[in-house]
Amino acid sequence: MDRTIFSGQRIPRELVVLPTEEYYRRRYRSDRRGRWLLLLVTALAVVVGAAGSRANVPGDTVTREVSLAQAGSGDLLFRTGGQGSYQPAVHLNSRAVLRVRGLLAEVELEQAFENTTGSWQEAVYVFPLPAQAAVNRLEIRLGERRIVGKIRERQQARRIYREARAAGKRAALLEQQRPNLFTSQVANIAPGEKVHVTVRFLMPVGFDSGSFSLRLPTTLTPRYIPGRVDAADETVQALRLDGNGWALPTDQVPDAHKISPFMQPAAELTASGSHRIAIEVDLEGGLPLADIHSPYHDIDFKQAGGGTYAVSLRGGDAVMDRDFVLRWRPRQSALPQAALFTGVVADDAVTSGGDSRDEGHAGRAGTYLQLLLLPPDLPGKIRRLPREVIYVIDTSGSMGGSSIRQARDSLLLALSRLQPGDRFNIIEFNSVTRPVFPRPVDATTENLRLARVQVEALQARGGTEMAPALRKAFEQQLPGDETLVRQVVFITDGAVGNEAALFELVRQSLGDTRLFTVGIGSAPNRHFMRKAAQIGRGASITIGDIGEVSARMQSLFAKLEHPLVTDLQVTWPKGLHVDAYPKKIPDLYRGEPLRLVARVRGPELHGKLMVSGRLAGRQFRRELALTPGREEGGLGSLWARSRIEALRDRQRTVGEGSAAGEKLRDNILQLALAFQLVSPYTSFVAVEQAPVRPKVAGLANSPVPNAVARGQVLQRQSYPATATGIHAQLLVALGLLGLGAGLGWERPPRRSSWRALRASVGRRLRHWLRRWLPDPRRARLTLEQQLVRAR
Amino acid sequence: MLRFLLVMSFLLAGAWQLGGAAWLLAKAHLAHYLIDDAWEQQLRSGEPVRPWPWADTWPVARLSLGGGRPLLVMSGSSGQALAFGPGLVENSGAPGARDRNTVIAAHRDTHFNGLRDLRAGQVVRLQDIRGRWYRYRVSSSRVVDSRREQMPIQAGPGLVLVTCYPFDALSAGGPLRFVVHAEYLGAGRSQEA
Repeated sequence: MDRTIFSGQRIPRELVVLPTEEYYRRRYRSDRRGRWLLLLVTALAVVVGAAGSRANVPGDTVTREVSLAQAGSGDLLFRTGGQGSYQPAVHLNSRAVLRVRGLLAEVELEQAFENTTGSWQEAVYVFPLPAQAAVNRLEIRLGERRIVGKIRERQQARRIYREARAAGKRAALLEQQRPNLFTSQVANIAPGEKVHVTVRFLMPVGFDSGSFSLRLPTTLTPRYIPGRVDAADETVQALRLDGNGWALPTDQVPDAHKISPFMQPAAELTASGSHRIAIEVDLEGGLPLADIHSPYHDIDFKQAGGGTYAVSLRGGDAVMDRDFVLRWRPRQSALPQAALFTGVVADDAVTSGGDSRDEGHAGRAGTYLQLLLLPPDLPGKIRRLPREVIYVIDTSGSMGGSSIRQARDSLLLALSRLQPGDRFNIIEFNSVTRPVFPRPVDATTENLRLARVQVEALQARGGTEMAPALRKAFEQQLPGDETLVRQVVFITDGAVGNEAALFELVRQSLGDTRLFTVGIGSAPNRHFMRKAAQIGRGASITIGDIGEVSARMQSLFAKLEHPLVTDLQVTWPKGLHVDAYPKKIPDLYRGEPLRLVARVRGPELHGKLMVSGRLAGRQFRRELALTPGREEGGLGSLWARSRIEALRDRQRTVGEGSAAGEKLRDNILQLALAFQLVSPYTSFVAVEQAPVRPKVAGLANSPVPNAVARGQVLQRQSYPATATGIHAQLLVALGLLGLGAGLGWERPPRRSSWRALRASVGRRLRHWLRRWLPDPRRARLTLEQQLVRAR
Repeated sequence: MLRFLLVMSFLLAGAWQLGGAAWLLAKAHLAHYLIDDAWEQQLRSGEPVRPWPWADTWPVARLSLGGGRPLLVMSGSSGQALAFGPGLVENSGAPGARDRNTVIAAHRDTHFNGLRDLRAGQVVRLQDIRGRWYRYRVSSSRVVDSRREQMPIQAGPGLVLVTCYPFDALSAGGPLRFVVHAEYLGAGRSQEA
């Protein structure tokens, strides 16, 4: 019997059409095509997105680099350079030989100026020297001939130089612009000729925490010039045409054009064989050393016996884009508690200039002393006093590059040292001053976290308006609470042109606060760091590399957190006429020695020097026998340099233009002439007797640029973006529209594309609606059924 | 369905790009009517006049590159200024300044397209806001790499025209610049056209 089989409609087998191979082939092909299409679309979308976002901001790349001119009132000007690309006409290479004897370093810095052009040149080179350099000799060398420079009053030296230049004689002039910034000018360098200018100077060797150090800068960080350019001033107008610097004089920095040499990337300079320095150091300390190293250079050294070491740069020379620093540490057991060096200058001493200048010799006679004395060590553990620290961080454009990273890291490290009970604040400044908190706050976890977030976001841009920041830092600390130790930690590269005004500001608004400076970067302004800390009764450290941050900051913390040696008194034996500097002995921070430079007149050196002081509540006393020790030349120059510095400090407080200031100027002038020192009022000038430049040949003036310090960003005015990308945009638009239209066209074979579009939109809409609206035909829930029925 | 979405997205993106380009072109060309008015007004009054109240730039000079309509030079070389016309670069000299040269930059694909046709010896004229014309003679032109060189702002009279290079490059933001140097010839008659 037949059973009814419930099944769908049966289809006779012969009617069934199975998919053929062709079907599968087509099907997969179209599928693959779809996938390719998807890929293409994605890629296109990415490209379009990128192009669109770029095309929409044509002006955004205009001046990424902050130009100095925009940063302040200083103005960016090239003097020569023809068509804009600046190729220095005169190449410069240096060679420094440092001889260290005891606590004194004598440096011969030879600058070789090579004229690479076919015309006669005058080279103008603004270069840095160590902050305490006493420059006492200038010499020109041409092959085998030597011309020794003479010290003259500044204006007179200029005049002599100008006349020699005009007459076609070879001449060199060495002027001081800042205690650590000098200008050397060499006139009438023949085409293809090389002229060597040797500058000799003396400087004291640094000593801190058992380690000696030397620093020789080779380039500088461009100084920010605050103030307003008075364009109407006639002298300014004249200087614009004659200036060798990029900056114009302002009301605050009248010599801005003299301290703003052009900068050029080191790679460009060294590519043409310029700006390399060879450095050799002879250490004659006489002490067996435990360690000797240079943090920023690779060095080789060998022991020559008798505690003498010869140090040189590995590979001979290095690019002049960072300070050279040498540190050496004697063995702990060999380190003396005191060191005394003496030098005698007799009445009939011949000056190093070797000429017939007689006046002033009488002023030089005497015995000169250099003294270093270590205070006693701290007795045991010391109670830490609560502190109120204001951190001031420089975020100006000159801090760009690696400097700002070093500064940020230093600050974060400093924040981590704060303990409950301390108070702190952070002031960031560039063109404007921004404190993180309106007033110093307690060092709670929350406040520190807030501060850390702000510090990590710091960026370097804008000018260096230091005065408002310093003022703000000093007025942060309200009078009243006497229990807190008040400190300002100032993290900067010191790249400012108005140092003197800032020193005066520090002196006047310091109160009982102490100012510590942290110098940042490959070429910080050490003069500013040292002097600001000295006036601020604090200490100064320098960080030149990101890897150094931790170690150097530790030494700063040691100074910040340990008690000082105070009430230092030096008593000289009776009968001696002593003129010692510094006049008022500063308090000593941990690791710092007592240092003095003195001139002693009267009878032979005799008796004992007595030093007394107070450390952590205890009185201490030291005695040192004064014996005419080893003869050390150059101590006289060092003493005179210290005296000039002291006189300049006094002059700054009374004002340079005042009657007292004029008198001090005369004192400085006499002193500098007597000791053959370059000073603000005296310069060295060397002139060859015979003219060399033919009358018909012209003389071109070419400033020698300084290399941009390592890790820093050259601040210059860059070209604006001068394309809209409109063509690319149009092309992309065309392509997209074409593609869209093409795809839309292809699909419906017979119907018009508009109807296809409408149908497809309708279908899509229905499909979508169906997912969200109840379908009366499929209503299952009671609510839905009710709703359907109600309709 | 996918295809439909594709078509729509292509069309939309295309329209967006087209609109952007058109907007740039419109800014470059249409704004000139307003800027022209401002310039005329400025010549009469001698005071800087903003072409529209919210403009962040204003015309500071008129530049005639030989043939064609003179171009109005805007103050500053920011993107906003360059969208409307050639820009007088900050810190460079005013037209006719003796103590520093005048540097003018413009987009290669809008206003300074004609720069490639300038030949050495050709005379370029510049009018300052007092209506005085100054004449410069093209001395040379060259291509520089903006990553390596600074703007040639120098202490001396002269005119420098800057635009992007190559002229027909598709994308914006390349590092090369086309720089035309012109030497100062002197001041022309006051109302020379």
